[in-house]
Amino acid sequence: MKKMITTDNLTELWARLAEESTLYLPVQDGPMVLFQPWQEGVQVDLEAFNSAVSPKDIFLPREETYLNYRCSGQALELDAVEDDRAITAFGIHPCDLKAIEMLDRVFIEQDPPDNLYQKRRENTTVVALSCTNPDPFCFCGVFDVNPLDAPGADVMAHLVDGSLHLEARTEKGKALLEKAGDLLEDSTVDIAKREVKTADFGLNVKGLPEDLKSRFEDPVWDELYKSCLSCGVCTYVCPTCYCFDVEDYGHEAKGERFRCWDSCMFGHFTQMAGGHNPRPSRKERVRQRFMHKLQYYHEAYGEIACVGCGRCLRSCPVNLDIVQAIKALGGEKVEQR
Amino acid sequence: MSNANPLMPQMATILDIIAETPEIKTLRVSGKDGLPFDFMPGQCAMLSVLPVGEAIFSITSSPTCRDCLEFSIKKTGKVSNSLHSLEPGQQIGIRGPYGNGFPVEEMKGKDLLFIGGGIGLAPLRSLIGYCFANRDHYGQIDIVYGARSPADMIRKSEVKETWAGQPNTKVHLTVDAEFPDWKGHVGFVPTYVTELAFTPENKVAITCGPPIMIKFVLQALDKLGFAPEQVITTLEMRMKCGVGKCGRCNLGPVYVCKDGPVFSLAELNELPGEY
Repeated sequence: MKKMITTDNLTELWARLAEESTLYLPVQDGPMVLFQPWQEGVQVDLEAFNSAVSPKDIFLPREETYLNYRCSGQALELDAVEDDRAITAFGIHPCDLKAIEMLDRVFIEQDPPDNLYQKRRENTTVVALSCTNPDPFCFCGVFDVNPLDAPGADVMAHLVDGSLHLEARTEKGKALLEKAGDLLEDSTVDIAKREVKTADFGLNVKGLPEDLKSRFEDPVWDELYKSCLSCGVCTYVCPTCYCFDVEDYGHEAKGERFRCWDSCMFGHFTQMAGGHNPRPSRKERVRQRFMHKLQYYHEAYGEIACVGCGRCLRSCPVNLDIVQAIKALGGEKVEQR
Repeated sequence: MSNANPLMPQMATILDIIAETPEIKTLRVSGKDGLPFDFMPGQCAMLSVLPVGEAIFSITSSPTCRDCLEFSIKKTGKVSNSLHSLEPGQQIGIRGPYGNGFPVEEMKGKDLLFIGGGIGLAPLRSLIGYCFANRDHYGQIDIVYGARSPADMIRKSEVKETWAGQPNTKVHLTVDAEFPDWKGHVGFVPTYVTELAFTPENKVAITCGPPIMIKFVLQALDKLGFAPEQVITTLEMRMKCGVGKCGRCNLGPVYVCKDGPVFSLAELNELPGEY
């Protein structure tokens, strides 16, 4: 089912989708583009570079309360809080959807499934948007990402000559297009003819995960971490980072328990009661982050946990991004002379 | 609902609290109808005190004890301090069981050498109780247990009377320094293990205690000729989820909460030593 909608009609489409679901899309918010819920008057930007923070928070919110408690005397009452919203994620780039599929392996496929995440994922219709104008920081060419196609999308969208071309790929996708039937026309544009140039910054990661298996004590780690400020921004913006914390908020009579994003870059992350810390300095923490992306995740799931979205390059205040790490570890193309 | 939220605790009640030492209490906890869940020795559970938080503790009772779970808890952090302040009858949250547990099947037919230090006896006690309940499956049992002082020993009467009275079982106690009322052995656990000169033939050594004790016990066992495959220990790490997702307890690609906390020394030798 290939359809198109003129950009003039998009606001009507969004208003309609937002009636029945929480509709997240790339919104201009001050100097940044972020995935936010649609409401009338927001400035949606479908031509923007990758959002400042990845859209992972649609499924793994920065914070979410999952239980309410009440105490009275010695009695305790625990009530689960569930999120049953229908969600539409609109304008997700193929790299970001691939990253979400990497989170799916941890939160859905790896037993036991995390039902908070799984439910949101199941209740979401994903409208992926092809990316023809990669950010100067993007390097998805290194990884198995096609910026023009997101295989896991419910609807694959392409912005061409002032119209949004929509192809439903799943039943959920078809249902979404049916809701907007009167706003759509048949599409005749040949999407296959489009081209996009992706960067690889001279990286070659072939064999790197296997190689790193024996390089936990490599001298590279003694140098690489030195500029790190432990600010954690890399983990917050990263689409494949998913570490979380669990905390309580409330008083003796009532309150809630929530989980929120956490960062392996923070010293207290692994600090145990009594003071012992298995990752006591920035060296161990920087090593943990890059080894997780490049080796541990690969060992568990057969793929490097990076999609080349460029966010850590854009955000790290000291340029200690994954491209620098891969280069320091020898993941560069050998120059042809 | 497709699945239950794995982070959601169930209700439990503290039946009884036993003061073991000035710093350690044993909590007896039951679910709505008896045990909140089935488990194997070496597995752990998350205990919640609202709104203080949640922390992971090894289950110290044997799975053959069917009326409650027991946790021997040292006052160390926020949650353990708060658990120490509770009274019997208090309701708390519990979820679990987590982790792999001890390899009770592979240990069948072997002699067992337990080496515990201080609160490190807690996870071993679950396995010791299990082995006594299935006494025919295991050979000679030696239990070496040490503490800083006689007052720092937990489960004293159980160790000295119940365990020492089991068939084909020896209990070897030691304290770090001389004490007026102490007639037993004096000295650190690793040195005592060397003095007792255990032989490695057909034996599995299971050890838990403070990191420094474990380090020297491993050296002592190595000198006595124990192969890394014959030595088993259980690790503790900071944990938030217990199900291999929150990201803090990994040793390389292995998560202590779900792939551990029990590892053989041979397995640990293959992993980054980040514990």
